[in-house]
Amino acid sequence: MKPPSRDWPALLLRHEMLLVYVLLAEWLFFYFAGTTTNRRGVLIGFGTLDRQFDILRHSCEIGLLALALTPVILTGGIDLSVGSILGFCAIFLGLLWRDCGLPLPLAAACTLAMGVVAGGLNAVLIAALRLPPLIVTLGTYSLFRGLAEAITRGAITYTDFPAGFLFLGQERWLGLPAQAWLFALVALVVWLLVHRTTFGRSFRVIGFSPEGARYAGLPVERRLALGYLLAGGIAALAAIIYTARLGQAKADAGLGYELFAITAVVLGGTSIFGGTGTVHGTLLGVATIAVLKNGLACLPLVMRLNAAEELAGLLTGALLLLALAAGVLPRIRPFRRASRRPVDSTHPPAVPP
Amino acid sequence: MSRYAREISVAGAFALLLAVLAVFAPGFYQPQPLLSLATREAPTLLVACGMALVIISRQIDISVGSQFSVCGVCVGLLAGMQWPVIALLPAAVGLGALLGAVNGLLIAGLGLPSIVVTLAMMVTLRQGLNLVRQGKFVDLPEGFQWFGLPQATGQWLLVLGALAVVLGFAVALRYLAAGRFVYAIGSDAEAARLAGIRPRLGTFWVLIGLGALTGLAALMNVVQSPQVQPLAGSGLELKVIAAVVVGGVAISGGRGNLGGVLAGVLLLATISPALTHLRVEAYWEKAIQGAIVLLAVLAESARRRWAPR
Repeated sequence: MKPPSRDWPALLLRHEMLLVYVLLAEWLFFYFAGTTTNRRGVLIGFGTLDRQFDILRHSCEIGLLALALTPVILTGGIDLSVGSILGFCAIFLGLLWRDCGLPLPLAAACTLAMGVVAGGLNAVLIAALRLPPLIVTLGTYSLFRGLAEAITRGAITYTDFPAGFLFLGQERWLGLPAQAWLFALVALVVWLLVHRTTFGRSFRVIGFSPEGARYAGLPVERRLALGYLLAGGIAALAAIIYTARLGQAKADAGLGYELFAITAVVLGGTSIFGGTGTVHGTLLGVATIAVLKNGLACLPLVMRLNAAEELAGLLTGALLLLALAAGVLPRIRPFRRASRRPVDSTHPPAVPP
Repeated sequence: MSRYAREISVAGAFALLLAVLAVFAPGFYQPQPLLSLATREAPTLLVACGMALVIISRQIDISVGSQFSVCGVCVGLLAGMQWPVIALLPAAVGLGALLGAVNGLLIAGLGLPSIVVTLAMMVTLRQGLNLVRQGKFVDLPEGFQWFGLPQATGQWLLVLGALAVVLGFAVALRYLAAGRFVYAIGSDAEAARLAGIRPRLGTFWVLIGLGALTGLAALMNVVQSPQVQPLAGSGLELKVIAAVVVGGVAISGGRGNLGGVLAGVLLLATISPALTHLRVEAYWEKAIQGAIVLLAVLAESARRRWAPR
C-alpha cells in the first residue's frame, strides 16, 4: 500500500514499533524484577528458559485465535464465536476418538473439517445473506457453546489421551514446545495471505469500503466467506492444541478466549472498523499480553497477593484504552492545530459506527 | 400493522411457546414459580431496556455485565454498613450512571469505537473487582432480603417496579423529543446533526441511561438473596444483547421499540423452565438460545428484503 519509506522518525513511531518498545520494556522489567534464586542457588522465576517456554505454550491457543481474527477484523467484521468453536471442536475430538473409536489422527482431521464447517455457518449467514457479523457470531457463540454443553451434558470430560498426542501440547520438538512450530506455521501462512497476496489486499479494501470493493470488481462475498472459514479452521486447530496441552476436553474449553484474542488484535494496531492492520502487529499484541500475564505471576509482591491474573487483566484493559486513545488524540480539535500535519485522508473520520 | 411485523412475530413466538406449554406441560402454570421467574428476570429486563436505547442509537455496550457486578458488590457493602434502602437506591443508580459516563466520555467525547471501549471497560472492571474482592461473597444484613417485606410482596414490588420503569422509558422513547432524538442519531448521525440535534451529547446521555438502569437492576438483584455473588453479572451482556436483537431492535441502529424488547426478554427467559417442563434436557438451553438469535437476524433480513418500501 505505502511506498517503502526512508522516513526514519516516522518508521520508529509506527504502531508496531511502539509495541516492540512496550514489549521490550516489559520483558526487561520482569527479567530483572521477577527472577530470583532459591535456597539452593538455582535460578527461578521469569528469567528461566522453562518459564519462557511456558509463556510460549500458554499463548499458542489465544495466539491462533488472534491470527484467525485478524483477516476477519480487517474486513470490518468480527467473530465472537471462535472461543465457542474451540470448545465445540475440543468436545467433537473427544467424541470421535473415545465414543466413536476413530484413531486420533483421523479424529483430528475430522475436527479440523468440523471447524471449517462451523466457520462455514458464519460465512453463509454473513457473506451470502449479508447479516451483521456482530449478531450472527453472537448467535453462533451461544450455539456452539450450547452444543458442546448438550453433547457432554455439562458433565463429561474426555481424558486419557495417548502420550503421542499429548506430545503435541506438553513436550519439546527441536528445542521448542511442539505446538509453537504449528503456531509459527499458521502465523507464516496468515502473514503471507494478508501481506503478500491479493486476498489480503482485498480484505483491507472490503474493510475500507465494501461498496468500493464491489465496484472495483472484487468478489466481496467470497472473500468475506474465506475469512470466516479460515477462522473456523484455525479455531479447530487451537482446539486440538488446547486438548493436547491440558490432556482433557471439557465443554468450557476456551471460554472467554475470544475477548483476549480481540484485545490482542486491536492492541496490535488493527482498526476495529477494518481497513488497516497487520499480522505482525497482532503477534506483538499477543506477546505483549502473554508476557504481561506471566511476568506478573513471577513478581514476589504479586505472588504474595495472589492477584496475577486480575492485575494482568486490569493492565491489559488500560493498555487497550491507551492504544485507542493514542490513535485518536491527534484528530481531536484542540490537538489538531498543534500537530501541523495535513489531514489524513486515508482514515475515516472518528464517527461512531 | 406491517410496521410492527417483527415485534408481532416475536410476541407470536412467545404465545406459541406458552400454548405448547399449556397443552403438553400445564404444570408450568403455577402462580408462585411464575412469579419467581418474573422476579429473577426483572433485572435483565431493565438492562435490556437500557441496551435497546444504546443499540437504537447505533452503539453497543458489552461492559454491562461487569458494571452489574461492580454495582451489586458496592450496594452489598453499603448495605452492610447499615445504609437504609432509601439511600441505596440513589447510590446504586448514581454509581451505574458514573460507570456509564466513563464509557460515554470515551465513546462520545473521544469518538472511540464503542465495542472496543466497552470491551476494555469490561475486562478492567471485572478484574478490578476480582483484585479488590478476591471473589468473596458479600453477606447482607438480616432482614435486608426483599427490603424486609414478605417474599411475595417483595417479588411483586420488583416486577411491577421494573415494568413501570420500562413503561416510562417506552413512553419517553415514543412521545418525547429526547426519545425521537435517539432514533434520529441511530438512523443517521450526520442528518441528525444537520437537523440541530447534538449526536455526541445524545450518545453520552444514552450510555449514562444504560449505566443507571444497570445500577438499578443490580440493586434489584441484590435484594433477592441473602448474599451478593461477585460474578452475578458475568455473561449478562450477551444475554441482554440477544434479548434486544430477538426483540426486533436493528443492530444497525434507528429501529426497534421496548415492547419488542419485553417480548424478547420473556421469550428467552421462558426457554429454560419450558425445557424442564417439557422434559428436554436443560443442557440444550444455550444452543436453543443461539438458534433463536440466528432465527431473529434471519427474520430481520427477510423483512428488509421483502418488505414493501
